[in-house]
Amino acid sequence: MEEVHAMIGRVTRCSIRGFVGAVRLPEPDLPSFGAFCKAEAQQGHSQVIGLIYDISIEDDEFARQMATAESLSPEQFSDHQYNRQVPVEFSALAIGYQRDDQFHYNLPPQPPLTLAPIRALTPAERMAFTQRLDFIPLILSAPNLPVDDLLTAALRQAAQDRSGGERRRFLLQAGRECARLLDRDLSRLHVVVRGLAE
Amino acid sequence: MIERSELEDILGPRVDEAPLGIVVGGSLSSGLQIKIDPRFSMEKLAVGRYVVIRGRQTSRRFFGIVTDIALDATNPDLVRRPPDLSEDFVLEVYSSEVAIGTLNVSLMLMLDEEQSEPRPVKTIPSHFSPTYEASAQDVECVFGEEDETHFYVGTPLDMEQVQVNIDLARFVERSSGVFGKSGTGKSFITRTVLTGIIKSGLAATLIFDMHNDYGWAVKDETGREFKGLRQLFPDGRVSVVTLDEDTSRARGSKIDRVLKIGYEQIEPEDVEMLSGLLGLSDVQTGALYYLRRTLGPSWIAKLLEIEKADEELQNLIESGRIVAGTLGAIQRKFEFFHRMGFLVPGRGDDAVEDIFLRLSNGTNVVLEFGNYGNTMAAYILVANYLTRRIHGRYVRQKNLASGGKADEPKPLVIVIEEAHKFLDPKIASHTIFGVIARELRKYNVTLLIVDQRPSGIDDEVMSQIGTRVTCLLDNEADIRAVFSGVSGASTLREVLARLDTRQQALILGHAVPMPVVIRTRDYDQSFYAAIGVTDESNLDDRAKMGIDSLYGE
Ligand SMILES: Nc1ncnc2c1ncn2[C@@H]1O[C@H](COP(=O)(O)OP(=O)(O)O)[C@@H](O)[C@H]1O
Ligand SMILES: [Mg+2]
Repeated sequence: MEEVHAMIGRVTRCSIRGFVGAVRLPEPDLPSFGAFCKAEAQQGHSQVIGLIYDISIEDDEFARQMATAESLSPEQFSDHQYNRQVPVEFSALAIGYQRDDQFHYNLPPQPPLTLAPIRALTPAERMAFTQRLDFIPLILSAPNLPVDDLLTAALRQAAQDRSGGERRRFLLQAGRECARLLDRDLSRLHVVVRGLAE
Repeated sequence: MIERSELEDILGPRVDEAPLGIVVGGSLSSGLQIKIDPRFSMEKLAVGRYVVIRGRQTSRRFFGIVTDIALDATNPDLVRRPPDLSEDFVLEVYSSEVAIGTLNVSLMLMLDEEQSEPRPVKTIPSHFSPTYEASAQDVECVFGEEDETHFYVGTPLDMEQVQVNIDLARFVERSSGVFGKSGTGKSFITRTVLTGIIKSGLAATLIFDMHNDYGWAVKDETGREFKGLRQLFPDGRVSVVTLDEDTSRARGSKIDRVLKIGYEQIEPEDVEMLSGLLGLSDVQTGALYYLRRTLGPSWIAKLLEIEKADEELQNLIESGRIVAGTLGAIQRKFEFFHRMGFLVPGRGDDAVEDIFLRLSNGTNVVLEFGNYGNTMAAYILVANYLTRRIHGRYVRQKNLASGGKADEPKPLVIVIEEAHKFLDPKIASHTIFGVIARELRKYNVTLLIVDQRPSGIDDEVMSQIGTRVTCLLDNEADIRAVFSGVSGASTLREVLARLDTRQQALILGHAVPMPVVIRTRDYDQSFYAAIGVTDESNLDDRAKMGIDSLYGE
C-alpha cells in the first residue's frame, strides 16, 4: 500500500545532475518543494535520490482559451484541472544514490531511464539518508537554483521525522554543517540558519 | 580543570580522551595557536594552565603553558555583523562553527616515548596535533618528587593535588630573585624557599632582614603571627643577630648575638654606597678616601668630634688639600652616624669573624634590623659592610681551597630586600652586590634578591639571575625587567600581569624544569608540621638541646 501511495510520477527527462518527472494529477502534498524522492536506475541496481526543487504546469491551447472565457461552470473548471492533457512536471536535483542498501552522497554513476517510477522516500528512508549531512554540498553547488530555500526546506523536512532532543541535535548539526560551507557569505548563512530555527 | 560547555549536550558527550583543541598554527618562538573544540567553555580556561600536545607524526608529547586566549572567527565580517542576541539558534550554531576560540600556547618541554626525563623543546608538533589539558600525572611527571634537594613551594593553578618542587641545588647555584608588588607575598615565599634551603643544608644563608620577616614571630598586617626561621629550626641551625637589641627583645625574639660596628671598622667604601642617601657630592665622596688616609682608623670619630681633632682638621684645610666647605658638609652629613645606635666608638668587636664562622659551619644567620629597618641608609650601610667583609673571607678561603690548603667554603646565599638600592645601574658595576651577581658562583656566594621594582636593577645583573620567582607586577617596565635575558619568556607576560594579588607566583628559570604558575604553599601549622615543628612545648625542648642562645630562657 505504502509503495503505491509513495509513487509520485515517472521520469520524462534526466541527467546525472537530476531528473524531471511528470504526473497527471498532483496529490495535495506530493510532489512538493524540498521533498526527498528516488528513481530507479541501472536496471534496478541503484536508486537515485533526488530533491524536488521545481514543479511546473505548462499552459496548453485549451487553458489559454478558457482563461479568457467570460464565465466558467464548476464542471468545466474541475474537468480542466483534473483531466489535463499536459501533465504537471516536477524537477529533482540528484543528491546521492542508494546501492545495495548503502547510501552514497555523490552524484550517481548513471541517471534513471525514462518512465522509471519516481517515489517519495518513506520517513524511515529519509531518516536513514539524512543520518549523514554530506548531501548538503551537492545542494549548495547546484547552479541557478534557489538552493538556500531548497536547503532549508529539505532540512526542515528531515527534522520533522525526529522528535524532541533528537530534532534539536539534528538541526544544530545541520546548522553547523551549513556554517562550515557558507561561512564566506554571512548574509546568506544567516538566512539559511535562521530558516532552520524552530 | 576545564569545564565542558553546554554544547556538549548537543554535540554529544566528550569522550574522556577527546582533545581540548587542535594545533592550527604558530611557531616555536611566538607560541602555538590552538583552535578550541566548541565543546569546551573558553570562559572557564585561564592563562597559566598547562596543556599537553601529542605530536601527530611522532609519539612525542609537548608541554605548553597557555599564554593567551582569543576570540576568532572564520569570517572577519562576523565582528561587524554579529547575529542578534535574541536568535538563540543562530547564536548557538555560530558559536560552534563560525565564531571560534583560540589559545596561544608557549611550548616548554617535550617528552619522548622511551624517555622519562622531559627535555627542552627544539621543535613543535605538526598541524592538527591534538591538544589536551594536562593531567595531574602529566604535571607531576615534570616536577618530580619532593626529596632532600627538591622542596615543595606550591601547587600549579587548579591542581591542588600536585606539588611543584623546586630544585634547591640549582636554586642556590646561581643568584635568584623574588619579585612582586608590595603585599603580594614576596617575604612569605622567600621564607618558604629559605626553609627549604636550610632544611636541605645545601647552603648557608645570610639574611638581611629589614622588616623582621624572617627571624622570629613574624606579624602580618592583621597582627596574625607566623613562625620565623629561628622557630622552625630551634636546633641551632639558625642564628638571629640583631642590630637593635631593645626592639628584638621587646618582640620576644631569641637572640644569638648583638651586632655592634666600631667606627674604626668603617671604611670609605662602606660610606660610598650611602652617598646618594646622605647627599654626598662626588667631590665630598672623593674626599672620604683622603680623610681616611690622613686621619687614620679613627677618622669617623674625629670627624664626628667624638675624638678631639680640631688641630688636625684645621691643618687639613690649611694644607689646601680640602676646602673648609667640603669638610663641613661631610661632618654635617656624618651626623647621621650618631643616630645609628649600633655604631660604637672604637674598634668594635669580632662580629664579622663570628658571623663568618657561623656561616662557614653551615649555620644560617638572620640579621634583624629592628627599628633601623626603617632607615634605608642603615640597611644599606650594614648590608654592604658585612657582605664586603664576608665575601672577602670567602674569596680568601676559596683561593686557599683551590691551592689545597683549606676546605671548600660552604655555599652561601645572601638575602637582600629592596635590592634595587644595591643594584641600581649607576652603582651595580662597583658595589659588592653587583660583583657577586656577576661573578656567578666563582666563590660559592650567590644572592637571593627580593624586590618590588626589578626595573630599577641593572640589566646585566638581572640577566645573571638564574631563578625568578615573580608575584604580581603591574608596571610595564618591571614586567619587562623580569623577563630580560630569558629567551622566549616574554610570551608569559600576560600570565604574569594576571596573577592574583596575593599568594600566586610565576617561577621560571634554573630551578624549575619549565615555567610554572603556582599558588604558593600556605605558611601555616601544616607547613610547620611538615618541617617537623609540632607545637610550642616541643619547640622549647629542642631549643634547650640546641646551642645556647644569648637570651634564650
Ligand atoms: N604563603 C602564604 N601563607 C599565608 N599567608 C600568606 C602567604 N603569602 C602571603 N600571605 C599573606 O599576604 C601578606 C603579604 O605577604 P608578604 O610576604 O608580606 O608580602 P610582600 O613581602 O610582597 O610585601 C602576608 O602578610 C600574609 O598575610
Ligand atoms: Mg615583604
